[in-house]
Amino acid sequence: MTAISLTVNGATHELDVSPRLLLADLLRDELGLTGTKIGCAMGACGACTVLVDGEPVRSCLMFAVQADRRSVRTVEDLAAQNGDLHPLQAALQAHHGLQCGYCTPGMLMSVAPMLESGQPLEPDAVREAIAGNLCRCTGYQTIVEAVVEASRR
Amino acid sequence: MTDWPTQAERRWAGRRVQRLEDPGMLTGATRYVTDVQLPRTLELAFVRSHAPTARIVSIDLDPARDVAGVRAVLGPADVADVQPTVDILHLDGALKTPRFTLPGDRVRYVGEPVAAVLADDRYAAEDGADAVIVELEPLGDGEPMYDDIPGDRYFHQVAAHGDVEGAFERARHTVRRRLHVQRVVTSPLETCGIVADYDSATGELTCYLSTQQPHLARAALAEAVGLPVSHIRIICPAMGGGFGGKEVMLPEYLCAAVAAIRLRRPVRWVEDRSEALTAGAHGKEAEAELEAALDGDGRLLAMRSRFVSDTGAYSSGIGAYVEFMVGAFTVPGLYDLGGYAYDTGGVVTHKAPLSPFRGVGMTTSQTVREVLLDDAARVLDIDRMELRRRNMVPDGPWRTVLGEEYEPGSWRTAFERALELIDYEGFLERQALARKQVTRPPRLLGIGVSPFVEAAGIGSAGGAGGLPGGSHDNATIGIDLSGRITVALPTFSHGQGHRTTAAQLVADMFGVAPEDVRVIDGDTARTPFGMGTFGSRSGVFIAGTVNRAGEIVRDKLMRVGEILLEAACEDLELVDGAVGVRGAPSRRIPLAAVAGAAHFAPHVRAELGDPTLTATAFFDPPRPTHSNGTIAATVEVDRDTGGVAIERIVVVEDCGTMVNPMIVEGQIRGGVAQGVGLALLERYVYDDFGQPQTTTLAEYLLPRATDLPPIEIEHIETPSENGTGGIKGMAEGPASATPAAIICAVFDAIAPHGTSIEELPLRPETLAAALAQS
Repeated sequence: MTAISLTVNGATHELDVSPRLLLADLLRDELGLTGTKIGCAMGACGACTVLVDGEPVRSCLMFAVQADRRSVRTVEDLAAQNGDLHPLQAALQAHHGLQCGYCTPGMLMSVAPMLESGQPLEPDAVREAIAGNLCRCTGYQTIVEAVVEASRR
Repeated sequence: MTDWPTQAERRWAGRRVQRLEDPGMLTGATRYVTDVQLPRTLELAFVRSHAPTARIVSIDLDPARDVAGVRAVLGPADVADVQPTVDILHLDGALKTPRFTLPGDRVRYVGEPVAAVLADDRYAAEDGADAVIVELEPLGDGEPMYDDIPGDRYFHQVAAHGDVEGAFERARHTVRRRLHVQRVVTSPLETCGIVADYDSATGELTCYLSTQQPHLARAALAEAVGLPVSHIRIICPAMGGGFGGKEVMLPEYLCAAVAAIRLRRPVRWVEDRSEALTAGAHGKEAEAELEAALDGDGRLLAMRSRFVSDTGAYSSGIGAYVEFMVGAFTVPGLYDLGGYAYDTGGVVTHKAPLSPFRGVGMTTSQTVREVLLDDAARVLDIDRMELRRRNMVPDGPWRTVLGEEYEPGSWRTAFERALELIDYEGFLERQALARKQVTRPPRLLGIGVSPFVEAAGIGSAGGAGGLPGGSHDNATIGIDLSGRITVALPTFSHGQGHRTTAAQLVADMFGVAPEDVRVIDGDTARTPFGMGTFGSRSGVFIAGTVNRAGEIVRDKLMRVGEILLEAACEDLELVDGAVGVRGAPSRRIPLAAVAGAAHFAPHVRAELGDPTLTATAFFDPPRPTHSNGTIAATVEVDRDTGGVAIERIVVVEDCGTMVNPMIVEGQIRGGVAQGVGLALLERYVYDDFGQPQTTTLAEYLLPRATDLPPIEIEHIETPSENGTGGIKGMAEGPASATPAAIICAVFDAIAPHGTSIEELPLRPETLAAALAQS
């Protein structure tokens, strides 16, 4: 076991973990943050995307020990404390950008950093940006429309 | 049965109401099976066959027992008392392929489970599975799959309707098309999974299960493990997609259930993606051949089809039946045929068992038919759309050559509107210009159009068409002491937004807002018996059951209103969460007070007789509903790479009265995306030795955001005559009709170079080779 210390959604955790434990499993099984989904466990579907030090990372491709002394943000941290949805979440709902919801947390965490610049996004750029996130339900169009709208708020 | 509420009374149905299920999903709060965490849970991992066909010589489980964290190991002998699962075909001459939970004698496909290891976590369970030693003796090619299935063909049916032979004899032209529809994988983002928890005090087994059919899964599980149905509870907290692939009782689920009962600890198995791709819900693979006889004017006289589904190692659940039978039945589509004959069936092979997949059967029939019609137009030198016009059935009701009664639809109107929207004539001009271009190699532009009809909401009457089994669906509606309405559904939403659409329907019936209606599904303990969600049935069955149950409860509330308000029922209305006298806002009683009076006021109870404010009602539609539409697509094929760029996809859809157009459009777009995957990207590959070659999402290509254009949609609403409230079932039509539109467009683009490709998908390699040869 290896001792690590990491910040997840603003809270610091001191943990002893197996060196082979995936960050995704740490978040889900050890910390109970099951909002992060595992879709393929090999980095191909994007469902497990979280932010590590602000950058989107496949949490199925990162060992928990690699997150030592780093800051992780998951989907559970997007909405405001009072429950108000993040503008991106609200836009996805308004545009019907989710159906089964399983790819949604990864989709949100892949896109959220793009919105922080405040630059309006074009549809093609959004398609490129989410090309690493698989969705089997929506055909992507309403996700693209939602992200574009959220970027123009 | 009155059709209530009337159009005028609809406040919520028909509107783009935002989904009630979304906030939970958007914040990560919604729980799926994989998110269920029970104390002391053991994780299960499987030892799987690495050979496609072999005799099991020995299985040494002992090395796994020494692995750190491993708590138990199950081999074939440990589950020998579990009944094998058998498909539910009730057809004369259908041979059975019993599927044992862990077969001890032989394996029939790569990935078949042969042993199970239970450990403290999945990591240790997989270590244990790696330690098990399985000795297999490969069986030769000549060895039959099953001793009692000659030629590996377990079902075969031949039938002819109308004068087929005569039509082919007197035909001016005959055309024939062979097409191999590839094996694909359903691939919902959430894989299959189970958490089984046995209560030894009560003898009850609770399974959190990723299934489209909670009540049917419960019955199948009960039969296999020998528990009464009443002792099993299936809960599907939420499900990350199904698409037909979550309708089968898997041996993995039975292993987990048996282990939970034996070990008295919760047991969890969540399929990983490579398991899903290797041994999960494969779909569709079929050989199809279609012939058409036409007169000199391009009128279709008759068709002959042949379908052979590659079922894989076992026919399970509803089996490949839905592929090869629905395929054969749906060949006539929207065309007026004087005669039609089919020859259809399934064979068992050393591949993973075939599961239903969205657009079952009809994807294959639609694709081969529309491609064939384009072939015929080229042979006869008639415009491809004109050929369709000469043969398409008129708008309105229609009786097919097979005797299927279509309810009225906008078949021709939708077709013509799609041609307008995609500017068919304008495209042909652009295409002709491109083909004449002399300064550089001409661009390869193509257009394809695929008009479809989709039978959905099939109840017991479907049995007459040869579908196995009946149907049995109920909804329960009740009102509690706080005046809140709860509805429990016979269906199970796994992305289709039933919580919202059901709440819209109930809100209109009771004069409340959708967010005030609590919708329950996916739990056998809290829902009445229902068949679940598949075959685009949910809209029809939700509306039918909810309407009937709601009417009973509504009448009861009105009766209480009559007593409390001393007014006649005709003068009362349910509005804004109250029973009130029409036109007298001061004379209103909130639903909570109405419910309270029914529960406790002696005079109300005495007058009501039965004060129950909950009702369960049954619904079985007399005939299927028929939605329809047309998909039109334009593409450009890259002459050098063979890559296909989709320019536009237009969909005109008519699914009768829409409850929530936003959700309908979501179903259309998702279906179109899966159709594009089938046409251009997805294929599951076995090598010549039966070894899977596409076992990760790096090799098995699902459509990505950059593979799809925006999908343009227009609606027509021809209310259903068979479905409650004018609602027609939908969601598979666009999925099954899109491949034909894309493939016809690609063939149109490369037509000057020949269109003899018979293998799907249309991969760049295939197209580049075809272009290079010409």
